[in-house]
Amino acid sequence: MPRVAGVDIPNDKAAMYAFRYIYGVGPKSAAMICEKAGIDPRTPAKELDEEQLSKVAGILEEDFIIEGQLRRQVQQNVARLRDIACYRGLRHRRGLPVRGQRTKTNARTRKGPRKTVAGKKSVKEMR
Amino acid sequence: MTRSAKKGPYVDEKLYMKVMKAKESGGREAIKTWRRACTIVPEFIGETFMVHNGKTFLRVQITEDMVGHKLGEFSPTRMFRGHSGRK
Repeated sequence: MPRVAGVDIPNDKAAMYAFRYIYGVGPKSAAMICEKAGIDPRTPAKELDEEQLSKVAGILEEDFIIEGQLRRQVQQNVARLRDIACYRGLRHRRGLPVRGQRTKTNARTRKGPRKTVAGKKSVKEMR
Repeated sequence: MTRSAKKGPYVDEKLYMKVMKAKESGGREAIKTWRRACTIVPEFIGETFMVHNGKTFLRVQITEDMVGHKLGEFSPTRMFRGHSGRK
C-alpha cells in the first residue's frame, strides 16, 4: 500500500477517494490534487508509482494544511474562543452546540449519551 | 451569511465617537452601552465597556483577540445555574 503525507495509507480505492483518507483532504481537494499531479482520478491507489506519489506529497506540502498541523490549528481556534470568553467560547466550554442549534431535544453529538433524569415529564414517553 | 465586505464592519458611530473621546482624554472609565451588535474594532483595544445584557451591565475589557467579534458576545443574556435536582 502506498504512503503519502507520512503515515497515511490510503487503500485500494481510486485515487480521488483514497486521498480523502488524509485528514484535511475532502472531495474537492482530492480532485484538485489529482488534476495538479496529472493523475487519472480513477487509478487505484496501489497502482500509483513513486513519481506520482512524490508529486502528490509535494502538492500537499505546498498548498494544504493537513493532519497534525490542521488539528492543531483547529484546537488553537477553539482555545482562542474559550480564552476570550465570548458566547461561542462559553458553548465550547460547556460542551453544548455552538451555532445556535436547539438543545431541548437532539444535540446528542455535543452532549454525549443521554442522562435520564428521574421525575422529568417526558421520561415515560421516551421509553 | 456574513456581512457584505463592501459595507465594512458594523460599528456604531456614536459609540465609536465615545471611544475616541475617551481615548483622547485618557479616561479610564468604563463606557456603558446597549450596543451589543457593534463590532469590536482595533481602536477599542484596552478600553473597558459595560455591555448591557438585558438586565445589568457586564464589564468587558477589550483585548486584541476580541477584534472582529461583537460586544454582545461577551455579555451573556441567559444564565444557567444547573437543574434543581442536581447536587
